[in-house]
Amino acid sequence: MDYIVKRTAFAIVTVFVAITLNFVLFRLLPGNAVSGLRCQHCTKQFRESIVKQYGLDKPKLQQYVIYVERLAHGDLGTSIADNRPVWDDIRTPLVNTLPMIVVGTVISIIIGIISGVVAAWRRGTAADSANLWTALAFYAMPTQWIALLVIFYIAIPLGLPASGIESNTLGILSTPSTWAVFSDRVSHLFLPALTLGVGLYGEYSLVVRSSMLETLGEDYVLTARAKGMRNWTIVWKHALRNAMLPLVTLIALSLGSIVAGAIVVEDVFSYPGIGLATIDAISKRDYPVLQGIFLILTMSVIVANYIADLVYFKLDPRVTE
Amino acid sequence: MLSVEGLEVWFDVPGGELHAVQGVAFDLFPGERMGLVGESGCGKTTTILALMGLLPPSASVAGRVLLDGEDVLAKGEDSVSPHRWRDVAMVFQGAMNAFNPVKTVGSQIVEPMELHGVASGRAARNQAAELLEMVGISGSRADRYPHEFSGGMRQRAAIAMALACSPKVLLADEPTTALDVMVQAQILELLVRLTDDLGLAMILVTHDLPVVAQVCGRAAVMYAGKVAESGPIETLFHDPRHPYTRMLFQATPDLHGDDEVASIPGAPPRLDREVLGCPFHPRCDSAFSRCPVEEPRLREVGDNHTAACHLNDVPMQVAQ
Repeated sequence: MDYIVKRTAFAIVTVFVAITLNFVLFRLLPGNAVSGLRCQHCTKQFRESIVKQYGLDKPKLQQYVIYVERLAHGDLGTSIADNRPVWDDIRTPLVNTLPMIVVGTVISIIIGIISGVVAAWRRGTAADSANLWTALAFYAMPTQWIALLVIFYIAIPLGLPASGIESNTLGILSTPSTWAVFSDRVSHLFLPALTLGVGLYGEYSLVVRSSMLETLGEDYVLTARAKGMRNWTIVWKHALRNAMLPLVTLIALSLGSIVAGAIVVEDVFSYPGIGLATIDAISKRDYPVLQGIFLILTMSVIVANYIADLVYFKLDPRVTE
Repeated sequence: MLSVEGLEVWFDVPGGELHAVQGVAFDLFPGERMGLVGESGCGKTTTILALMGLLPPSASVAGRVLLDGEDVLAKGEDSVSPHRWRDVAMVFQGAMNAFNPVKTVGSQIVEPMELHGVASGRAARNQAAELLEMVGISGSRADRYPHEFSGGMRQRAAIAMALACSPKVLLADEPTTALDVMVQAQILELLVRLTDDLGLAMILVTHDLPVVAQVCGRAAVMYAGKVAESGPIETLFHDPRHPYTRMLFQATPDLHGDDEVASIPGAPPRLDREVLGCPFHPRCDSAFSRCPVEEPRLREVGDNHTAACHLNDVPMQVAQ
């Protein structure tokens, strides 16, 4: 219990640090709501009224207090580009991205674990070195390039959709069934998720392989064999859970790069998720929206790390503090 | 009951093969405690692991291991795995780590019972608790994790785990090495009591002669992958017929005596190349002309007493 309390407190502190950094970061960026192309031909009075409207004339500290206060009320601010609440602007992209990231991560974990375990079990064989090089290659490849490979070698031959989130033709002639909508979504989600997963699995595979090798050399594995257990049962019942421990940490640590990968992947696949929304907001200098997106992303990484801590606690009884 | 014939083990090593066990043979009778003694690297542990086919894939094994007349290694994994733990259980050197840290001690004692169909569910858990009581650990601790046990307790629990399927033979590989002296004595006492009570035969592997003398009735002394001498422990002590045995006993500190503790100079030969003559001759204090050229054979030198030394062939020559 001590452990959980500590982790929770730690997560809350991190959230506050993230909020503060998020505030500072956007005040450090050059330009503001009235600079640049956006307001090239505005009158002086108009600029001043806009600055006032966003409260940019107030001292920074006061701005910070207002920002935190509004956050506490669930108010992420108003978009400069379309004057809608930020939350309304980023909710749909977020809902689109989440399943894609989850499926992508699950794909990477599954491929990573299976290939890592097989490589460890067949250590020194051709299968092992083949896996090593494949994993390293995918780990080193830029995600956008993997995306192109996926489009070229999978999307085209299989006729899978490689852009957007739903077919244009769906629902033109008749109201589609829930199942049709669902499978259409899944088929659009699959390739971006696969790209993300393939880009991530290499690292996981190598870590699983090495921690698996270490675990297989442990005395309790020999004991399990002496008990008469068969090889794969030993891997499944004794080695895997211990070998998973470093992977949990690694996944939690790589959540940031998962999000970064998602932005690139969404760009290539024109997938209307949080990545595209980010790129869009950057090009429009829509700082409130960007700030909102950053906040949501940081929060999700913190929450995921918190969950990883709890998973670790569950997996390893030795963790108590 | 357990009978080993002509056991040979080779390991693939870079640049050749390492002949780790070279024709080891012995018999173990029901309820008997036998010691397997020798210094590090002489093939004790390899022998023990080979009995139940537990060596890594880089090892190749020849010879027969008969368990009640059945050759358990004849058909590889299929013929040996039903006997593992069911008939022959083990307590390992690093028994501190014999338990998986993420599973409760109780569940790991239950595991072989369910695997071999000895007991399952509640019955198995009750039995696990009883086994723990038997080795002096409260049965309620079955739900605890290994890291919540001290070293000595873990070793006791490892012994309880070995008894899970009521085996006929217990192979104990340096069961007390990592423990402090007090705990060592308790564990040895426990092993003696349990083997007596359960009529369990035991092979105790150790480099510690006094431990063997305290626990076992008979011992085999191994050197360089071979049995150098074997016989009742009393005979080995009072009438060793191999210089290595004699020197091993001399190398043991005596609490009451004033004798210098003698060490045996040199190191065992490398086993990745052919050993010419008697493997012990470079370190032997009584080697003579035959020793470097002719390998001594293990032969009967007394009641249940065998030794592999040319001195036993030619007492006259040595006397001169």
